[in-house]
Amino acid sequence: MRYRHLSIFFLLAAGALASGCSSIGVKPWQRDVLAQDSMQLNANPLDTAIDDHLYFSKEASSGGRSYAGGGCGCN
Amino acid sequence: MQLKHSHPGKTLPLRRKLMAASYALLGATAVRAQEFNGAPADGGVLGRLLDGLTVDSALAYYHEDGRVQAVEPVVDINKAFANGQSLDLNATFDVLSGASPNGALTSRQPQTFASPSGSSFTGKHTYVVNPGQYPVDSNYSDVRVAVGASWNVPFTRLTSMSFGGKISGEDDFISATVNASIAHDFNEKNTTLSFGVSNEFDRLNPVGGAPVPGSNYDLFEKTGAAKTKDGVSALLGVTQVMARNWIAEFNLSVDRFKGYLNDPYKISSVLDAAGATTGYVYESRPEQRTRKSAYLENRAAWNQFSAALSLRYMQDNWQVRSDTAELRPRWTLFDGNHYIEPTFRWYRQSAAYFYTPWLLNSDQVEFQSSDERLGAFHALTFGVKYAQKLHYQEDRPGSEFSVRFEYYQQTFNQPSAPTALQGLDLLPPLKSILVQVGWRY
Repeated sequence: MRYRHLSIFFLLAAGALASGCSSIGVKPWQRDVLAQDSMQLNANPLDTAIDDHLYFSKEASSGGRSYAGGGCGCN
Repeated sequence: MQLKHSHPGKTLPLRRKLMAASYALLGATAVRAQEFNGAPADGGVLGRLLDGLTVDSALAYYHEDGRVQAVEPVVDINKAFANGQSLDLNATFDVLSGASPNGALTSRQPQTFASPSGSSFTGKHTYVVNPGQYPVDSNYSDVRVAVGASWNVPFTRLTSMSFGGKISGEDDFISATVNASIAHDFNEKNTTLSFGVSNEFDRLNPVGGAPVPGSNYDLFEKTGAAKTKDGVSALLGVTQVMARNWIAEFNLSVDRFKGYLNDPYKISSVLDAAGATTGYVYESRPEQRTRKSAYLENRAAWNQFSAALSLRYMQDNWQVRSDTAELRPRWTLFDGNHYIEPTFRWYRQSAAYFYTPWLLNSDQVEFQSSDERLGAFHALTFGVKYAQKLHYQEDRPGSEFSVRFEYYQQTFNQPSAPTALQGLDLLPPLKSILVQVGWRY
């Protein structure tokens, strides 16, 4: 049941994003903070790649942030 | 708007100021703007080569308590061109060694196993696990080499496509992946909608041959022929600027793999009613797997502090359900040239429907696996990263040196043990550390 709750949460989040897209955001001259390194969605791609490879080889889940990938021979 | 290369000249400081202002207007989500500042003022061949070039590299050491260790150098080179296109090349090299669980259960009796290359339970291609010890093959070793490339092409001011490929090879495994994606900006570039597909082709050549799934371990029923599996993945994503200091990303993805999905080196113990081990069988997984996941990431910043929170939910037709939550706060220190970034990650998964820590003599099942990665467990990660900006190249604000440390632990749901096995640690926790140094130019 708790997984169903989580799914509903994600659906609501998606709905909020989709419905609010046209009215939220910033003007082009307000992007100073968004331009910072720490605000990039994959700010440290190598850290992410190394972590994802670790988790991929030790857990049954992968992907989400990007494509899941099917195996490294270790899983 | 097209970004132009800088050219040598006395007006460079003013041009850079104008470029910096342009980048601030454009934002750095679609274009890593600061990288264009990397051209040496004197131009030339080297200057053109370095213009828009970013080199990101890392060396990681991974160590599991009593099991596997790995050394992994990684390098990524990204070249941004004046026409807005960019090329990314990356390479990874892995050297693994140590001990890997073979899937069998801890026993009160000594257990003799054959190495993957062995064909009998005598001779040098065997290993013995003492009573009470968790069965691992201590001769595990592997080398992995992976190279990848991606090409990003803007078609219009608002639409871009990306094409990529990757090849990964190990002693007994080779994998090739191709992918393509399209992204479109709208709402003054506050919203980005993206869609991508990926196709993966894998070929396995297990050491000693591929065992017949579910066959008796004692009979060494193996085939020399290579096994294959392939998969397709699709990902639909929305990125939304929520506020001046807040950006969110939401992805839905699905992937389907079919073919030989077994781990050819994993076996299951077969027990009698009292819990004594009477034999082993090779694991047997279904030949098709479909996974679906939802992923939400939020990033926000307040002065010297920023934070990234990501949530993921995944389910598949093997009845694995998982939740993941990861938090990465970051504090920028002193003059803005240092930062500390802790990591907290929580993960839990339910077991695949065919997962079983052991089989009973009386069991008649089509699919089974004792691979603990398909069992129910939760995992925690604690980590911290320290990075320092490098100022010997003042035109490269992205240059940094970093060190990172992580501790990762898996804790498995313990099964109700048969009488003969009570008191034994049947599924010991996995504990590991990761140490990484990074350098970005």
